[in-house]
Amino acid sequence: MGGEPNRGPMMTRICWRLVDILSRMLDADERQVVRGDFAESGQSVARAIRDVSDLVVRRQIGLWTVWQPWLALLGIACLAGLPLSRIAFRLNVDLGQQLTAYYTYGVHFGTLLTPQQDMAWLLCLAIALLLWSWTCGFVLGSLSGRAVWLTWCVFYLMVLDSALVRFILSGNMILRDPQPLRLLMVATLPLNPATFLFSLSALWGAFMGVRRRVLPLRAAYVLASAITIFTILVTWMSGWYETAHEVWSSGAWHGVSWTMRLLPFVVVSWPITYLLATAKRRSTIDKEIT
Amino acid sequence: MLGEFEYLILSAATRLHEGAYGAAIRQEIEEATRHRCSIGALYTTLDRLETKGLIKTWMGDPTPQRGGRPKRMVRVTATGIRAASDFYLALRRVSRGVSWEANRIAVR
Repeated sequence: MGGEPNRGPMMTRICWRLVDILSRMLDADERQVVRGDFAESGQSVARAIRDVSDLVVRRQIGLWTVWQPWLALLGIACLAGLPLSRIAFRLNVDLGQQLTAYYTYGVHFGTLLTPQQDMAWLLCLAIALLLWSWTCGFVLGSLSGRAVWLTWCVFYLMVLDSALVRFILSGNMILRDPQPLRLLMVATLPLNPATFLFSLSALWGAFMGVRRRVLPLRAAYVLASAITIFTILVTWMSGWYETAHEVWSSGAWHGVSWTMRLLPFVVVSWPITYLLATAKRRSTIDKEIT
Repeated sequence: MLGEFEYLILSAATRLHEGAYGAAIRQEIEEATRHRCSIGALYTTLDRLETKGLIKTWMGDPTPQRGGRPKRMVRVTATGIRAASDFYLALRRVSRGVSWEANRIAVR
């Protein structure tokens, strides 16, 4: 890079390292060309930082002139992120209650359901969360391309925090002695099992989405079938809790209808339709070519 | 109609001919205009010119002078030459009868 032979003092080396890191946000070919230009012109590190930042910003802005990253941001990060956050929150609460009851008192937490039913519910919800997260991540990566770092951050924070913020704002949850550092950790790190599952699965999906863009048709069908089955299962099983609440409250509580229970699951499942459509289109094009 | 920066790039690339690539075009523009030319502006404009079909770019061979990294070579197409020529003629027509030197002195 420019001035590479005489990099000199530590600060200059650090600055060239920064130029290196920034240039990684460019396409591989362009990165090589820009680094070559710096090496050839022997320009100062300050100007190299300014130049490469300018190019990165222009390229990032250029990515948002097409509709795909916008669909990823609005349709997945914002729209699917909200119900996914509530699903992760629910899994976390239900799992936490059972684990706390078991490890503290050695008993099953009373939900008016059998332990087997509770286990089945938790297992199905966890698998469904994994499937939804991976699919959302894949489509997010596929649509966003190089803008994925931004759409991913919005999606991640939306899933981690939106349910929590909603519960706090509605007064259903009160923060006692909120410590800024702890709040920051809770808001940004996947510290509980559900958000950990989500993060791993969605990150893997996004990585695959950026690399492959389109799933093979057979894999897309398998994934769509699995999502459909688990969506039906969790909709049906969540009805157990509604019935149990009705019994427990002697009819004072009216359970949520199955259509309303299904709605958030449908919203988080929409990326599979996009994934199927793109896989089918790719398959048709491949057939026409061969 | 071309933009002024697009015209500068086309002119520099035409003058450099076989030796037209990113860093060389940038140096030409900086020397001619006595203004900084940012890499960001240069490469995004090269992309735009290529989309319009006014230039063709390709990756050149790596050179030791560039730390073994390739150049982005540029060639102005026939359409590019026509567009630059039209721009230059328009500039000459619109400047006819205008003496910038005289105006500059008058302003002083």
